[in-house]
Amino acid sequence: MDGLVAVGVPLALAIRLVSVVATLMLVRHARACRWVALGASIAASVVTAAVAVHVIGSTSSIDGTLFRHAASETVLGYSVTPLSAWFLTTLSLIAVPVALYSTGYFAHAIAPPRMAAVGAALNAMVGGLEVVFVADGVIAFLCGWEVMTLATAALVATEHESRASRRAAYLFLVMSHVGTGCLLAGFLILGSVAGSLSFAVILSGHVVSGSMRSGVFALFFIGFGVKAGLIPFHVWLPEAHPAAPSSVSAFMSAVLITAGIYGLFKVCAFGLGPPDVNWALAFMSLGTLSAILGVLYALTQTDIKRLLAYSTIENSGIMALGLGAAMMALAHGRHTLATVAVAASLMHVLNHAIFKSLLFLGAGSVVMATGTRHIEHFGGLMRRMPWTGLWFLIGALAISGLPLLNGFPSEWLTFQALLQGFTSTPGLVRLNFPLTAALLALTSALAAACFVRAFGISFLALPRSPAASEAHESPAVMLVPLGFLATLCVVLGLFPGFVLRALGGVTASLPGLQPPAAMMWGGLGMSSALTSFDHVAPVMFGLAFVGGLIGSAALTGRRAVAVRQAPTWGCGGELTPRSEYTATAFSKPVLMIFGAVYRPTRQVDAVAEVSPYFVHEIRYRAEIEPTFERYLYRPLLRGVVRMAGGMKVLQAGSLHAYLAYVLVLAVILLMWLGGTT
Amino acid sequence: MTSAMQDGLLAAGAALLQAGGLLALAPLLKTVIKKMKARLQNRQGPPLLQGYYDLAKLLRKEPVRSDVASWVYVAGPRAYFAAAVAATTLVPVVFAAAPLESAGGILLLVGALAFGRFALATAALDTGSPFGGMGASRDMTIAALAEPALMLGLFASALAAGSMNLGVLVRTLVQEGVTRHPADILAFAGIFMIVIAETGRIPVDNPATHLELTMIHEAMVLEYAGPDLALVEWASAVKELLYFTLLVDLFLPVGIATSTAPAALLVGIVAWVGKVFVLAIAVTIVESTNAKLRLFRVPELVSISLGLAFLALAIRFL
Repeated sequence: MDGLVAVGVPLALAIRLVSVVATLMLVRHARACRWVALGASIAASVVTAAVAVHVIGSTSSIDGTLFRHAASETVLGYSVTPLSAWFLTTLSLIAVPVALYSTGYFAHAIAPPRMAAVGAALNAMVGGLEVVFVADGVIAFLCGWEVMTLATAALVATEHESRASRRAAYLFLVMSHVGTGCLLAGFLILGSVAGSLSFAVILSGHVVSGSMRSGVFALFFIGFGVKAGLIPFHVWLPEAHPAAPSSVSAFMSAVLITAGIYGLFKVCAFGLGPPDVNWALAFMSLGTLSAILGVLYALTQTDIKRLLAYSTIENSGIMALGLGAAMMALAHGRHTLATVAVAASLMHVLNHAIFKSLLFLGAGSVVMATGTRHIEHFGGLMRRMPWTGLWFLIGALAISGLPLLNGFPSEWLTFQALLQGFTSTPGLVRLNFPLTAALLALTSALAAACFVRAFGISFLALPRSPAASEAHESPAVMLVPLGFLATLCVVLGLFPGFVLRALGGVTASLPGLQPPAAMMWGGLGMSSALTSFDHVAPVMFGLAFVGGLIGSAALTGRRAVAVRQAPTWGCGGELTPRSEYTATAFSKPVLMIFGAVYRPTRQVDAVAEVSPYFVHEIRYRAEIEPTFERYLYRPLLRGVVRMAGGMKVLQAGSLHAYLAYVLVLAVILLMWLGGTT
Repeated sequence: MTSAMQDGLLAAGAALLQAGGLLALAPLLKTVIKKMKARLQNRQGPPLLQGYYDLAKLLRKEPVRSDVASWVYVAGPRAYFAAAVAATTLVPVVFAAAPLESAGGILLLVGALAFGRFALATAALDTGSPFGGMGASRDMTIAALAEPALMLGLFASALAAGSMNLGVLVRTLVQEGVTRHPADILAFAGIFMIVIAETGRIPVDNPATHLELTMIHEAMVLEYAGPDLALVEWASAVKELLYFTLLVDLFLPVGIATSTAPAALLVGIVAWVGKVFVLAIAVTIVESTNAKLRLFRVPELVSISLGLAFLALAIRFL
């Protein structure tokens, strides 16, 4: 076991690398490709999990070398710190069910000639992400980052016949590279000041100071914020996540965005020295903005995968605002409070990964069974796909932050951090905390509305389209991973104390945080820094809930009366799917109440052939305004295009002009060099 | 027998007793408000036991269910009921401790009620009737708006006592005597408005209407009949009693028993019944003197409540 742990990281990466090569060589054998790629992914993930769990258990890092080139003295090392291990655990916990699900899903959803490319890209993406989490220097980090980005772009463009997919992949690449550019600039500044590219040196917190430090912070904040999907850097996410094959979307939404969160933790919060109050404010405000706008946009989507993608933005925001609370606490020297907030944020990383992959995989099954992503064309699937429905319902309950499931404990901890933040920080700035808490409450309540809608309209009542009425349940190989993830939702929801205990070592390893003794946990529950302030034991509430269920059964089940089935009253007419409430109608009140955010436009045209009183057909079009695209990115894009137009003068296509440039440059260089020597 | 086991059994017993007691009294509260409303309108009103008669009748009826619906439709009322019953064990009623105090505090209570709401709203979508969808949509919208105001109001009170656990909170309030701050009035007003909204009373919803365009809660449960409906009605009544008890605990914990002496418990019971009755009168007056608001005026009401709660926090701590 120890031997495996010592070589685990290179071994896992080697497995993935070999499988990428093998998959590409087997390009003509789709079936073999699928098994090689997914089998390797499962094996590598298990190895990674072994390393990660070991590091979390022992709370001491494992270091080693990934690549060594003696002639150029290039050494790329890795270091599995407890923080890396936490993200690696999340990664492997999701990668295994995703791969298992994909064995069934890819067979139906991916055209055989593309299987090799998809399989190879999948392993490259996960492998790149693993490198990002374990890299101990800038070079390895950026290599992993870039491999991950390119592989993801390839997966987003899987269905490259469709214009939307190509556009999504392009947008993803552009935004990712804006982010990567910022990261590169940030790392180069740090590296040139420190004279090293090792994380141990440049992220020690003493490299830069003053306004330079804030500038570097801003670069990293944008760079990682793009990957985390924080608003306003989110525009790529709702396009790219739905375009990929569903199981890949699940991995992207659940784990890939945490690459951004990991960077925000490692660099922005704990790599640049004690955080500034303004940084904390930036985190908290953008986090809150992402949470609230993410859920508001999710609520109005009718494409199930876009809905889930927007909800990812929301959850990413919750992670960021937890981290912001931690930074605020650190800026005021409240270490216990910072520990609570960091634990909240990290716990949400894990919990979100579980329920979001569950929901995305469930949505994938539904899309496969019906051939559409449009919620209004689902309906009645609970009868056709009972197991998928049950697992999706558990995911929907979890993501709404309801007790008994795993969304609740991490939101609970976030509330603890915010409320204690209010009581233990000085000055006016602390009013941020209750305001954020209120907005977080609004977010989770809107998320509940969003998922009542997503589940209810998709799975309940009458089928809304012929495709939905002929849907079939997915094969067992796709249901088992869903069941596994749903079980995790319940177990981690009932026993969050164990998660907090595992997090103890992770928080203790971060600079400036208190040893875990400040927090309480146990099999029964968990409490924040002060037991008398608040504590929670969901399993006890679960017992009371079961007691209530027994009570309701005792009240209603005394006599064996046959249940009479009767048709639903169709308001005087026949009940058809068209008389059902639609998803659009469901979210209409929210759309109207938050009209200032959505700024909806709608257009209703009555088409009449004979006379305007005999309407033949009504055309209805509704749209919510894409605020960020229209008012932030369009002007930005216009500016860039104009600048590029200005540069075009230089690049006129005339060979003579180019020769002249070379000559001028040579002369200038000679003069400059001559002047210096 | 270890002391931990004894404590556990004691807590379980107290939880059963308290849940049973609130279940037993909840239908009475609904009827009392109905009766007082009727008297204000110069009507006789129903007999005081009408709530029990209704429940008994519904429970005896043959269950009729839509042939469109799945098991979710059956599970909805049961989960709603169970969540409400479980929530009763988190709130101190006559004794200054909640039976399952160690399970959690305010956040868990709000979460429990949200769980029930989620279950019922989901089930309402299952019959294919447009009313269910309409009710679910409206109920979830209003709840989403009400939740931040409720939370902020609760935070204002809880932070003053330094605990989010209702048992600790009430004991702190009782031990320190009732040192009241003007902020309490604002917080009380804020939470009271939310209680009106959450319990489906005028001016937010009308519990007596079945008019398509205006009903919210009733639209959601329109298709339910027999024992299923009984569970929903009963749980809603318990929820209302629970909200009233919460208000009483936070703002007027006078008389609540701090020892298990019979006399203290008796005083506790009498004080609790009296205070809840006063709140019932207040709700009756609000219901009788206001007209129902249009759905899209409700956000204004809720934002007033939110503002009050925020002000309460601000003047208390700044």
